[in-house]
Amino acid sequence: MNLISRLGYVIKEGFLQVIRAGGLSVAVIVIIAATLLQLSLFLGVSRVLDHAFSSANQKFEMAVFLSASTTQADTARLQNFLSGDTRVESFQLITKEVALQDFRKDPSIDQMVKALGENPLTDSFTVVLKNGVAGEADSLAADLKKESHVEDVSYGKGEWETVSNLARVIRWAGLLMASLVFLTALFIVANTLTLALWARREDMLSMVRLGAPVWMRWGPYLCEGIIQGLMGSVIVMVVLEVVRRVAGEALQKYGGFDILATLPFQEWLSLYLNLLVMGGVIGMLGAFWALQKKWVKELL
Amino acid sequence: MFIQGFHLTQTDASGMPILEDAYFSFPEGSYTVLLSENVLSATAFLKMLAGEYHPVTGTLRVDHQDPYTLTESQKRRWLTDVGVIFSDFKLFSDRTVVENILFILRAKGFWDKDSLGAVNILLNKAGLGAKANLLPEALTEGERQLVMALRAMIFRPRLLLADDPFQGVEESAFRILFKFLSELNKSGTTIVISARQAAFLEEAKKLGEGQTIRWMQLDGGKLHSLEEKVS
Repeated sequence: MNLISRLGYVIKEGFLQVIRAGGLSVAVIVIIAATLLQLSLFLGVSRVLDHAFSSANQKFEMAVFLSASTTQADTARLQNFLSGDTRVESFQLITKEVALQDFRKDPSIDQMVKALGENPLTDSFTVVLKNGVAGEADSLAADLKKESHVEDVSYGKGEWETVSNLARVIRWAGLLMASLVFLTALFIVANTLTLALWARREDMLSMVRLGAPVWMRWGPYLCEGIIQGLMGSVIVMVVLEVVRRVAGEALQKYGGFDILATLPFQEWLSLYLNLLVMGGVIGMLGAFWALQKKWVKELL
Repeated sequence: MFIQGFHLTQTDASGMPILEDAYFSFPEGSYTVLLSENVLSATAFLKMLAGEYHPVTGTLRVDHQDPYTLTESQKRRWLTDVGVIFSDFKLFSDRTVVENILFILRAKGFWDKDSLGAVNILLNKAGLGAKANLLPEALTEGERQLVMALRAMIFRPRLLLADDPFQGVEESAFRILFKFLSELNKSGTTIVISARQAAFLEEAKKLGEGQTIRWMQLDGGKLHSLEEKVS
């Protein structure tokens, strides 16, 4: 038998064994689906965070406040500096008059300004950083502060770092939890498949005594695990797709929470492919683990 | 295959002797029937020849090789030439009759695209053509025994070890099986089978015309050659 013929036999036997195992197969598929659902939640949260940070990165802004004594020549020099900086996407001069108009939209501030009798604000620049260089905000701020008429640079450094750190913690915690869930699922799947092997121990013994080669003895069991894993993945993919289409729209319509609907389909596709791979891997490793049991090795 | 036993001693699980200091040889292409009052003794003897039941003392040579010193892969290759019919070598309960027989062809490396047709022809010859796609549980005990025998013979092994293959087989199936065994032996296969003494002896005498069969008796740990031949 050539390789393709052997592969065909193993796949066919793998499918038949999934059917023959009946309830135990259902149990394994459900366990894998439940595991993948949890893993996809962790992955989903991670992807949503990535997406949110990516969006934030794209819109990262800083405000550069100039001193009251800044002349038009100083402002022009600063404009030249910003035009030549590779980290800057765009910038806009906000004169103190325009800034005051904006402030006066708030009645309480308007009263304070009237009481002061003069405009206390200064000219400023709103600087938008290029996509993906939010991490260089510190160095740009430092460079700007070296300019003689720059009084202050504000870009929410503390908040950015806090959110960034929080996201990192969530990602690591998610990874840790996902690993634990993965290992637990592997353990349960391996033990459930061991039960299936135990039910077929007489057949396994006959195979050995009839002189069946290793690929005929091991192949169908490994294939059975992979098929069960893939079936678990498909169930989770269907659930997630329903959530994406139905819940995503509902959330957008009633709650204004549009992250599910706006997450690009490529992200979902990537998640589904990951799920397929993970399902197959859990099934195969679970079957391999089951085949490593001492009594199974002695039989096979 | 040529089988020789030197100074062989074998006991059962309780330590009772099955074989004591026995010397024997089964030449290549021979057909030997082992008669025994004690069914377990005959089974243990055949399993010893099949490399499944290590003798307590002595040396077994099958084609000048000791099957008990072979590595796992060597043993698997060795088994490629050995067909066995043992009552505990059950058919796979979740495979049809055809699938059970095709399995052995795959296991022994003889499977090709024509195998299914060949198996169906064989089943028709054995009178099991209509039951080819049934599961073993739908067959009678005799039919199952016949399928087990076909499974052991289809790849034309060089050695066939059969533990009472005629047990429970109806008369018509008995004749078919006896004929298949004879044909296999004529093609060069060494055959060693065990049988219940009286029933098999009478039938074999009637059916075994032109066939040289060597008879041996195994009882109380002693192996005797009866030198009786049917021809």
